[in-house]
Amino acid sequence: MGILSKKFLLLIGLVLLMAVLISIPFFATDYWMTLLVLILIYTVYASGWNLFSGLTGYTNFGLAWFIGVSGYVSSILIADYQWPWIFAWPMGALFISIVSIGVGYILLRIKGVYFAISMVALTEGTRELFGTGYLEPITHGGKGLPFVAGIPLSTLYWSILFLAFVTIFICYKITSSKFGLRLMAIREDEQAAETLGINTTKAKILAFTLSSFLVGLGGAIHCTYQNYIDPNYAFNIQLTLTPIVMTLFGGIGTVFGPVLGATLFTFIHEILWAELTLLYMAIFGGILMALILFFPQGLLGWMKERGILPKIRKI
Amino acid sequence: MTNFLETLIRGLMLGSLYALVGMGLTLVWGVVGIVNIAHGEFVMLGAYFAFWTFSLLHLNPLVSLVLSVPIFFLIGSILHKRMTERLTHAPELSALILTFGMSILIWNLAQFFWTNTYRSVSYLTGNFLFLGLTLAKSKTISFFLALGMTIALFTFLKYSKIGKGIRATSQNSEVALVCGIDTKKMRTLTFGIGIGLAGAAGVIVSLQWVIFPQMGGSYVSKAFAIVVLGGLGNVQGALIGGLIIGVLESLVTQYMSAKMAQILPSLIILIILLLKPTGLFKR
Amino acid sequence: MCEAILKVDQVVKRFGEVVALDHCSLEIEKGSITGLIGPNGAGKTTLFNLITGILQPDEGHIFFKGEEISRKKPYEIARMGIGRTYQIIRIFPKMTLLENLLVVGREKGKAGVEKAYELLHRVKLYEKKDDDASDLSFGQQKLLSLAQVLMLDSELILLDEPAAGINPTLQNELMELIHQLNEEGKTFVIVEHDMKVILNHCQKAIALNYGQKIAEGSCSVILKDETLLEHYFGR
Repeated sequence: MGILSKKFLLLIGLVLLMAVLISIPFFATDYWMTLLVLILIYTVYASGWNLFSGLTGYTNFGLAWFIGVSGYVSSILIADYQWPWIFAWPMGALFISIVSIGVGYILLRIKGVYFAISMVALTEGTRELFGTGYLEPITHGGKGLPFVAGIPLSTLYWSILFLAFVTIFICYKITSSKFGLRLMAIREDEQAAETLGINTTKAKILAFTLSSFLVGLGGAIHCTYQNYIDPNYAFNIQLTLTPIVMTLFGGIGTVFGPVLGATLFTFIHEILWAELTLLYMAIFGGILMALILFFPQGLLGWMKERGILPKIRKI
Repeated sequence: MTNFLETLIRGLMLGSLYALVGMGLTLVWGVVGIVNIAHGEFVMLGAYFAFWTFSLLHLNPLVSLVLSVPIFFLIGSILHKRMTERLTHAPELSALILTFGMSILIWNLAQFFWTNTYRSVSYLTGNFLFLGLTLAKSKTISFFLALGMTIALFTFLKYSKIGKGIRATSQNSEVALVCGIDTKKMRTLTFGIGIGLAGAAGVIVSLQWVIFPQMGGSYVSKAFAIVVLGGLGNVQGALIGGLIIGVLESLVTQYMSAKMAQILPSLIILIILLLKPTGLFKR
Repeated sequence: MCEAILKVDQVVKRFGEVVALDHCSLEIEKGSITGLIGPNGAGKTTLFNLITGILQPDEGHIFFKGEEISRKKPYEIARMGIGRTYQIIRIFPKMTLLENLLVVGREKGKAGVEKAYELLHRVKLYEKKDDDASDLSFGQQKLLSLAQVLMLDSELILLDEPAAGINPTLQNELMELIHQLNEEGKTFVIVEHDMKVILNHCQKAIALNYGQKIAEGSCSVILKDETLLEHYFGR
């Protein structure tokens, strides 16, 4: 058994997993389908957040902003302009990534906590703005859009599955690339990276924009799936927090940490929500604190430290 | 004209309270290096403290105010010793997420135990008539209480030995350590003082506004705007910043809309960070 | 006099009321090892920060190989061929040694890896190539930091206290490497408090104080300069 055959086995495993995942709509119940759709949506969010924040160390507290803006643009296109979803979703993502280039250029000069706060301020400001009378002709004000589009669950599932595959593949490629190393160098010491010839501004904006595109695409699909959108819903702080918790849980800065975190955490959420609805949020906050205090490296980081998994960037 | 003057005075009174919250946040941020997102939740807890002592023990809110400072100071110091101190050398992100979690935990527990019912302390009602201006009694008294707390804080920081130690730690922690200041202790004390200020602010808030579990969020967003305006760790800057935000909010509410006033903190944060990330005032 | 690789011309830098550099002018000869000396606060590190573009001068110009660099971004200056190390080491601690070098190199694919290996051999850290940089000793981190600069193919290398805080063996190793590199054509500017290092290794020294050049010449001459000694040990 050489390395080649090990790789071969891994490949067969992956193909099998894909085949199972793709064929799921033919035998799974709606309950499991919805659960899987949620896992995949949060996989995209968490991986997208990790792609920028996990690698560069800039804490993006504006994930809900990506989701909300892209969700609004795509939902309006579908509901008010009768665009087919297959064009409306990428349009929403494209819109948010173009806005993100500008926002990134301006805000990514701000470091650390200030950047995090300004992203929260941006999200909150946009949420208020979308609910005001000024934008009501376009956004329908505070009441939002009650109906987006009726798309079969299986179509939604395959779309988000495809996006999740693409997102993981991109993260995998980036983390083991020179671009990924540059992003990590920014996290480690931005000024030193700059004096060593790395164009940190360009790298940051590129990663920020890519993250906004993937998360925005996920957000567009999410809003169509929920079949409802209003400002409080689309820009909810929970949409920012949950993927961060998932990433920390699985292992920040790793490729498969966010995937693992999203999967496990969606189940935890499902159980907690059903059993302890009123205390759910409080427990959520407690878990967040415990993760930071006792388990900062996350599941994958822990397994790498223990030697259960090899210590390589590709995992 | 009377109307404008009243709006202005209302703004200053509001601002004095915001400043109290903002000074606590900026002090902790500057000395301990931790951005306490849960700061607003301690304002909420302070308000509930006043409410419960008033409705269950029939305690005068002014007595609660005096009691709140040591109690919240103690809570803050213990929290720092038990939790945030471990993160002194961890990445900035860690403390940010930890206190975010703490914020969610606290207000949801408050919601679970005390429900979403709006509560209030009906202690001061009616108006003062002063030089032809009508000023609510509760707001006027609150203003003077906040002013008193501010003066006490400044005196403490300026003249007491601990206050000097705290300022030294804030300016240069390494030099302070070399000069024989126990910077670790100073950080714990500062965290306690920050929380103490938040609790006291909460008691004062309870005199004039309704109390509910989610109220902390709006205070923390204003406090952030204040810190950004006044410059990180700058207590005087926070005082001026607080007054500015109070007056602006009062003017915008009066002459534009309450909705616009809600966007104000976010707008101020974004504008200042873009133009002058170090804050408007010299330390 | 040989051709100057770096020319600092009447540079002024103020921090509020404090004037860190006051119409400072100096030239660095191509292929030389120049010591930059002066008491704390004389403006040495500020000068490094200005040359590498971390700070912008308030007045004056800086030229590298005849081209003005005083308004360029740090990464542009680095790519033109100026590398530096810091007094407090600034490598990328949570990345492996190999990654620390690869991230800097401009070569693509295999060529970059080979170059990184070669440099790791050169600073005798090849065996540790897959360890995190934070696992290295202080002295080894200094060597890694120098290797990063070499990965960039810098022609002019600014070293901020390279010998401070490392053991004599490693210090000798480092200085020997600097001489080798110098013979290969690289130019060095070294800030150092240890006069022995300056005397033994630099062909020339420039003394700064109060943000100005106060003396320049061969090391032995400059160390006999009485006004300079007064500046150094006066108070």
